[in-house]
Amino acid sequence: MRRLAGLRFILVSAVFSIAALCSGFAPNARSLPEPQIASEQNLAVVVNLSNPVQNLSMPELRRIFLGGRSHWPNGRRITLVMIEPGQPERAVVLGEICQMHETDFNNHFLHGVFTGEVLVSPKTLATPVGIRKFVFNVPGAIGYLRVSDLDPSVRAIRIDERGPEDKGYRLHVPPRSSK
Amino acid sequence: MKFSGPSPIRGNLALKLIGRMIVWRIFPLLLGILVSTTILRAQQPAAAADKQTLQLLLQRIDQLEARVQQLEAAKQQTAPISLPSAPVQTSSPQVSETELQTDNAVTERMDAGKTLLRMRGFGDITLHGDSQRHDTTAFSLGQLNLFITSDISEKFKFLSEIIFEGGPDNIFGETRGENNSFGVDVERMVLQYSRSDYFKLAVGRYHTAIGYYNTAYHHSTWFQTTTGRPFLFQFEDRGGILPVHTVGASASGLIPSGHLGLHYVAEVGNGRASRSPITEEPVQNVVDDQNHKAFNLALFFRPDAVRGLQVGFSAYRDLLAPANLPRIGETIFAAHAVLVRSKFEWLNEALIVRHAPNGIPRVFNTPGFYTQVSKQFGSYRPYFRYQYVNASRTEPIFPDVGLRQGPSVGLRYDASETVALKLQYDYTALRGQPAVNALALQVGFTF
Repeated sequence: MRRLAGLRFILVSAVFSIAALCSGFAPNARSLPEPQIASEQNLAVVVNLSNPVQNLSMPELRRIFLGGRSHWPNGRRITLVMIEPGQPERAVVLGEICQMHETDFNNHFLHGVFTGEVLVSPKTLATPVGIRKFVFNVPGAIGYLRVSDLDPSVRAIRIDERGPEDKGYRLHVPPRSSK
Repeated sequence: MKFSGPSPIRGNLALKLIGRMIVWRIFPLLLGILVSTTILRAQQPAAAADKQTLQLLLQRIDQLEARVQQLEAAKQQTAPISLPSAPVQTSSPQVSETELQTDNAVTERMDAGKTLLRMRGFGDITLHGDSQRHDTTAFSLGQLNLFITSDISEKFKFLSEIIFEGGPDNIFGETRGENNSFGVDVERMVLQYSRSDYFKLAVGRYHTAIGYYNTAYHHSTWFQTTTGRPFLFQFEDRGGILPVHTVGASASGLIPSGHLGLHYVAEVGNGRASRSPITEEPVQNVVDDQNHKAFNLALFFRPDAVRGLQVGFSAYRDLLAPANLPRIGETIFAAHAVLVRSKFEWLNEALIVRHAPNGIPRVFNTPGFYTQVSKQFGSYRPYFRYQYVNASRTEPIFPDVGLRQGPSVGLRYDASETVALKLQYDYTALRGQPAVNALALQVGFTF
C-alpha cells in the first residue's frame, strides 16, 4: 500500500509538473489585453504630448474645430489637422463635432480666413499615420485618430470627462472596410 | 516443453527490485523534474515582469527622445536665423522625420526664393438694368478681388484685399472718374498680431466694426447671398454713408463669459475725410485732415445655446471738419441680431448716424435698418431683403441720400461650390423722386 501511495504521489506530481510546464509555455496569456471591440471603433481626439489640456467639453471642441478658438491655454496657436475628405473619421468629426456638411465646413473656413477671424485653415493629410506624425511634430496641433491607430507619440484627450475607452463616449467611427 | 509460471518468491524479488529502482533511480528523476518545473514556474512571472518593465522603459525612452526632439524643434523655430544644426543620431525614424519637417519649415520661411503668400480670388459680372432716367442696361464687371494672406510667424499674420474696380466713384453724391476705366484700391491691408484668444491687435486699413455686414462680407459678392450690399453698408466711394474703412489700429478678442461668447472690438483710426465737397479718396490712407482720431467700440455675443446667433452693438465717434462749416460731431450707434446657419440666414441691423454741428442746437439724425432672410433648398436659395434709410434734406454731410426704402427679392443658385448665379429685383422708393425698379443678373465666383 505504501508503495502504491508512493506511486500515486509520483504520478500526480508528474502530471502536475507537466501541466505546470505546459501552462508556462503561454507566459503572457494573462497579460494580453481583453478584447475591446467597442472602444476600438471610437475616434480619439489627439493633441501633442506637450499640450496641458486633458479634457474639453463638446462646445469647446466645436469652437476649436471651427476655428473659433485660436490658442491653447499655454499660448500655443491651435493648428487643426483633418484627414482628407471621403474618410469616415472626417465624416464623424464633421457630423458630431462641427455639425456641418463638407461644403459648409470648407465655406466656413474660407469665410473665417477671409474675415480674419480664423487664423489658419485646417491642414489636410491623407492617412492616420500622417496625422499622428503631424500632431507629434506640432506642439499646438489637434487631430483625431481611431483608437486602434493610437500610439504613445500622441495623447488622446477626454471629451466631456470621457476618454475614448469609456462608456458613453460620443465619437464612434464605422469599422474600416477590408480591401 | 513445459511452460512454467514464475514462482512467488521470484515475483516478490522482482517487485522489490522494481520498487527499489523506482525509489532510488526514477523517483529522484521525477523529483528533479518536479523541482525544476516548480522553479521554472516560479521564474516565469519574474521574467514576464522583467519583460514588461523593459517595454515600459523602452516606451519611456521613446517618449523622452520625442520630447527632446520637440524642444529642439521649438528652439530652432524661435531662433531668428540659425545655421543648419547637425543631425541628431537617433534610432527612431519618427524623430528623424520630425527633424526633417522642422528643418524644412524653417528653411522655407527663410528662403527668399519662396513665397509665404496664399492667394484667393473673388469676382463678379453683372447684367443690370433699372428704370432710372439716363441709366442703361449694361454688363458690368464687378470687383476683381485678390485676397492675400501670409502666416508671417506663429503670432503674426498679414492679410490684404487688392481690388480692381471699374466705373466712376460716387462720394456723397459727387461723381468722379470715368465710366469705363479701371482703378486699383488696396481695400484691406492688415498686419495682425495674435497673442491669445483674448487679445488680437491689427494695424493697417481694415473694415470698421460697425454692425455685422461690414466685417462679414468685405469685398466679395460670392460670399453674399444677394447681388450687393445693403445701402447702409455701401462703400464710401459708391455713395455709402458709413465710414466703412478705417486706417488705424484695432484690438479685438474674447471676453471671458462662459457660454455667452462675448467678444469686443476697440478701434482707433483716422476716420473718414470730412471736407465737403470731397473730390479725393474718402478713406484717409496716408494723411489725416485733423489730429482728432475716430474711435469705435463694439461688443457682440455668440452664445453656445443658439448656434449661428450673433447679437451685438457698437458706438463710433468722430469729429468731422467740413469746409465752410463748423466742426461736426459724428456718432454712430449700431445694433444687430443675426442668425446665420448653412441653410438659413436672418440678418437684422439698425443704426443711427448722428451729426451734431458745433454751435448749432440742431442735431441731424439719420436712421436706417435692413432685414434679410434666406433659406437654402438644395442649390437654390431664395431671399428677401427690406431696407430703409432716412436722411434729412438738410443733412450737412450727405445731402444726396434722403429717404430710400424698399424690398428686394431674389434667387441665388449655386452652380458649383465656387460659382453662384443670382437674380434680384429691387424696388426703391425715393423721397420726391419716382421709385426705381431694378433687375440684376449676376454671376459671382471665387477662384
